[in-house]
Amino acid sequence: MMKNAVLTKEIRDKVREIGHADIVVGIPSYNNAGTIGRVLGAVREGLATHYPRARSVVVNADGGSRDGTVEMVKMTCGDDVFSPQGRSGGFCTVVTPYQGIPGKGSAFRTIFEFAGAVGASALAVVDADLRSITPGWIGGLVGPVLDGGFDYVAPLYKRHKYDGTITNSIIYPLTRALYGKRVRQPIGGDFGFSGPMARRFFLSEEDIWESDVARYGIDIWVTTTAIAEDFKVCQSFLGSKIHDPKDPSEDLSTMLYQVVGAAFDLMETYETVWERVSGTEKIETFGTPYEVALEPVHANVRGMIERFRLGTSQLADLWQKFLGKEAVSFLKKLAGRGEREFFLPDDLWTEIIYRSAVGAHCEAINKEHLLRSLTPLYMGRTASFVIETEQDDSAEVEEKIERLCLAFEKKKPFLVETWQENKEVPP
Amino acid sequence: MNGVGTGMVEPSGVFYRMVMAFLPNLFVALLLFVAGLILAKLLGFIFLRVFRVLKVDRFWNRAGIREVLARGGVKRPISVELSRLVSWLTILIFIVIALSALHIPFIETVLARTFLYLPNVFAAILILLAGVLLGNFFSRAILIALVNSGIREAGLIARITRVAILVFAVTMALEQLDIGKISVLIAFAIIFGGAVLAFALAFGFAVQPYVKAYLEKRMEEAGRQEGDGEKGDRIDHL
Repeated sequence: MMKNAVLTKEIRDKVREIGHADIVVGIPSYNNAGTIGRVLGAVREGLATHYPRARSVVVNADGGSRDGTVEMVKMTCGDDVFSPQGRSGGFCTVVTPYQGIPGKGSAFRTIFEFAGAVGASALAVVDADLRSITPGWIGGLVGPVLDGGFDYVAPLYKRHKYDGTITNSIIYPLTRALYGKRVRQPIGGDFGFSGPMARRFFLSEEDIWESDVARYGIDIWVTTTAIAEDFKVCQSFLGSKIHDPKDPSEDLSTMLYQVVGAAFDLMETYETVWERVSGTEKIETFGTPYEVALEPVHANVRGMIERFRLGTSQLADLWQKFLGKEAVSFLKKLAGRGEREFFLPDDLWTEIIYRSAVGAHCEAINKEHLLRSLTPLYMGRTASFVIETEQDDSAEVEEKIERLCLAFEKKKPFLVETWQENKEVPP
Repeated sequence: MNGVGTGMVEPSGVFYRMVMAFLPNLFVALLLFVAGLILAKLLGFIFLRVFRVLKVDRFWNRAGIREVLARGGVKRPISVELSRLVSWLTILIFIVIALSALHIPFIETVLARTFLYLPNVFAAILILLAGVLLGNFFSRAILIALVNSGIREAGLIARITRVAILVFAVTMALEQLDIGKISVLIAFAIIFGGAVLAFALAFGFAVQPYVKAYLEKRMEEAGRQEGDGEKGDRIDHL
């Protein structure tokens, strides 16, 4: 058995029984009884419609759900083991608990190993909490791998202008500026991978799975690894993304810490790659984006500004250690402004993110403290963005995100310089 | 005359012999002292380099000890201060060795006692240092967590945490130094227990109307926000 193997004996027996599969669709889950039935239905229909001749396996890697998720999967799929349905292909469903740290990343690890064990040519992973998934998603995520020879397929969705704010204000501009590829939803959560790509992920160092990659960091990790290691990447339009609200016990600060922390850690891993990249390029996009009806999203701007003000009054001294006097001085002034004048410009936000990355790199303060202290700043930026885009339609919002991306690209030489010099902000 | 002469010469002779016997010891002591000075200088230089290579200053800054020391008037980088400490410790050790080379019983007794006590001093210093480190770390962690939870009293709670840890460390250090062992412990227990009791009583009785009013206001606000649609965010951040 391989050193990184995490599949249980029962699942390894199942793998032997299955032998080979062409496509694996992974569904990580934790307490998703309300939605997983629909997700499974869409996946099975997608496989039957798009790949009727392929041998496919749906793997549900569950994190110990207590709401009947596993029972729901078994009820939806029964004990179907390659029911041929009159074709040479067919599909079966495997339910397995995942090993390791509780989190989406650990579920991915199990799915990667399974895909490798059955020698799958393509692997798609979709979230179990999706309410907008359609059978077309399977074609969208698997098609570019099987028909186009791509190794990594990122999702492309239509989302509400206030949704995906960590993506829009930090991860997309940062990843794009660092690695030069315009992957619009680098942490979208639903992906397509080729067999070799899945194998590459599975064969990663053991300690990766002890880090935030095992939790929310998994999405940025797969995306960055694919781009930085020069795998063939593309994106595929899937329609709208609507899913159940996240578990309220998982607070924003932890989410931000794990995602941004993983992105900063990857900057250490691929330092020699991103330092050499200049400019950005479009990647191939499958499917034609179309307008879809989106659910309204409520944003409590006043509450966000209050959090920002509280952060500024209590954490300014701490921020100064990695952001510098000038930036903190501006933030203090901003905290004193009213809702109408509240505006955190792109340039300053870019500087905040870059200086935070350098601060984490040169360990200006404890890394976890640094990352968690970013929450009020992120709140301030989100409030500013919501105010700025209040009257905008989705195209105008996209223009503003593009403008932010350009600010990240323009300021990249500053990042490279301060990173290389390992400069701490003078006290 | 002869008797007087003999009486004076003999003590002088004894004194002379004693001086002659002591002189080599004194010479050795002086030699050791000078060697100590030279070695102290050398070790100070070497340790300064080592501390800089190990980036001790950065660790100190990160741990927040630089701020604490700066408040106490220590402005130089900690690598310089530590290398100076190494130098002075070397000098001190050589002074002790030099003094013991003199073979004076009283000094030997004092030195023996001092040497026996020194480990306690070092342990106390380490305890204080750990107290400062832990106090800074936990107060900062609590401050950030409370700010992220939107608690306005975050700064106050963080400061209380730091002071509590420091008081605990000082108590342990004093106990290590054997200074007022029992009285310090009793004082600590009284102060801590008293503070906890005072908080409990204050919260239970003295500030009851304010707490009541505060909680009512918060509940009213929450209710109003529900009514106004000012609920928490429904933004999907990822």
